[in-house]
Amino acid sequence: MSSMRDIKQRIENVSSVEQIIKAMDMVSSTRLVKARRQLEGIRPMYKELKLIAEEVGTQENAKRHIYYKEREVKNTLYIILTSDRGLCGSYNFNIMSKALKHMNQGKNEKIIIVGSKGYEYFKKRDKNIIHSVLDVADAKVYYGAESLAKMIIDSYLAAEVEEVYIAYTHFENVLTYVPVVERLLPIVSDGTENRDRDDKKYDPDLDSFIDNMIPLYLHMNLFRAYSESHTSEQASRMVNMDAAGKNASEIIEDLTHMYNRKRQAAITQEISEIVGSANILNKGGPDDS
Amino acid sequence: MMEQETSLLEAKKIILNITTPRGLKLSEEADMVIMRCVDGDFGVLPGHEPVSTVLGDGILRIINDGMEKKLAVFGGVVEVDNTSVNIYSTIAQKPEEIDLERAIRDREEAEAGILERTEELRYQSLGVGVRRALVRIEVSTNFEEDDFSEEG
Repeated sequence: MSSMRDIKQRIENVSSVEQIIKAMDMVSSTRLVKARRQLEGIRPMYKELKLIAEEVGTQENAKRHIYYKEREVKNTLYIILTSDRGLCGSYNFNIMSKALKHMNQGKNEKIIIVGSKGYEYFKKRDKNIIHSVLDVADAKVYYGAESLAKMIIDSYLAAEVEEVYIAYTHFENVLTYVPVVERLLPIVSDGTENRDRDDKKYDPDLDSFIDNMIPLYLHMNLFRAYSESHTSEQASRMVNMDAAGKNASEIIEDLTHMYNRKRQAAITQEISEIVGSANILNKGGPDDS
Repeated sequence: MMEQETSLLEAKKIILNITTPRGLKLSEEADMVIMRCVDGDFGVLPGHEPVSTVLGDGILRIINDGMEKKLAVFGGVVEVDNTSVNIYSTIAQKPEEIDLERAIRDREEAEAGILERTEELRYQSLGVGVRRALVRIEVSTNFEEDDFSEEG
């Protein structure tokens, strides 16, 4: 049995934790608003560029281009987007296990990690991490995505890798986020011949159009994927902190009940002791005989 | 039949949409749009054949009802068809959004850098810096002149 003092101590501890939880909840909800705005800005541009990239792929001549051509796969590059901080529920675990599962289908992987959580996870599993981006500041993401896109293109063109996958968390709404593994390169363009335009022209010519368009597309794609992940992370943290806050309140309530009962019991005991001893005194003390 | 179609197109204007990573930047009608592509200026009138091309760093000119508007657009992809021009670019700035002092400073810094350094990669990026600063300066100063002439 814990004493009253212990219980009181515990109540204090839990309520200070609760305050931290509430602060984190508030921080992540404001960040979520910001992240969502960023995500909603990039989505239309990404969608259109994706459409353009896929549409180009339906051209006969494009299939010979390196960004579209399917090569024999020796090495696969993965870009995995995780978070730097914890306390966001199963967010990191979901995306990492999804990526790991994908890798285990007999891929010879090279990994680019974003976020320290993912770095620790894959480091522990002795995966081939060729580059890691830690401590991503929100403001640097846009240019970070650009340099990452350049890096991917460089190693793709240097034939260090033959395909590139990206693992990120797709944000649907505040309660639903789905981990996704998508292929970035070569570009998948099957079944997207909905816009039937055989007469379409490309300036200056198809090859240089592709050469200029793909880096932009990858940059936007990475930036979008990061925005998706970042928004999911904030949403996940907010939901989890909300739940944790509720739990903390419940615990405090339970402990307060317990404390009050203890206090009541102590008082009752004291009273009965007093009454008992008073009774004995009134009788004129213990029998002398 | 042909005549009907052309008259329809003549009455129509081109709809210009500029999309940036922050969402739809601009959507308006125009008689003519002139943009700077990687291999030179490219003008579009209503009824243009469908074409896709890539932009360089330069001035985008929108001509509508005899008025000309200028925007600084750096890189991007354009999709043209007979009634619309869709631009997808990372940077598109209206004259009022350009910080002229900063552009002038950027230009000076980049030009000074070019004189000092000889390293190829650095040289290239400085070149881009100068070009972009020049575009910004031109877009922004023309805007001010236009303002002036309207008042006078």
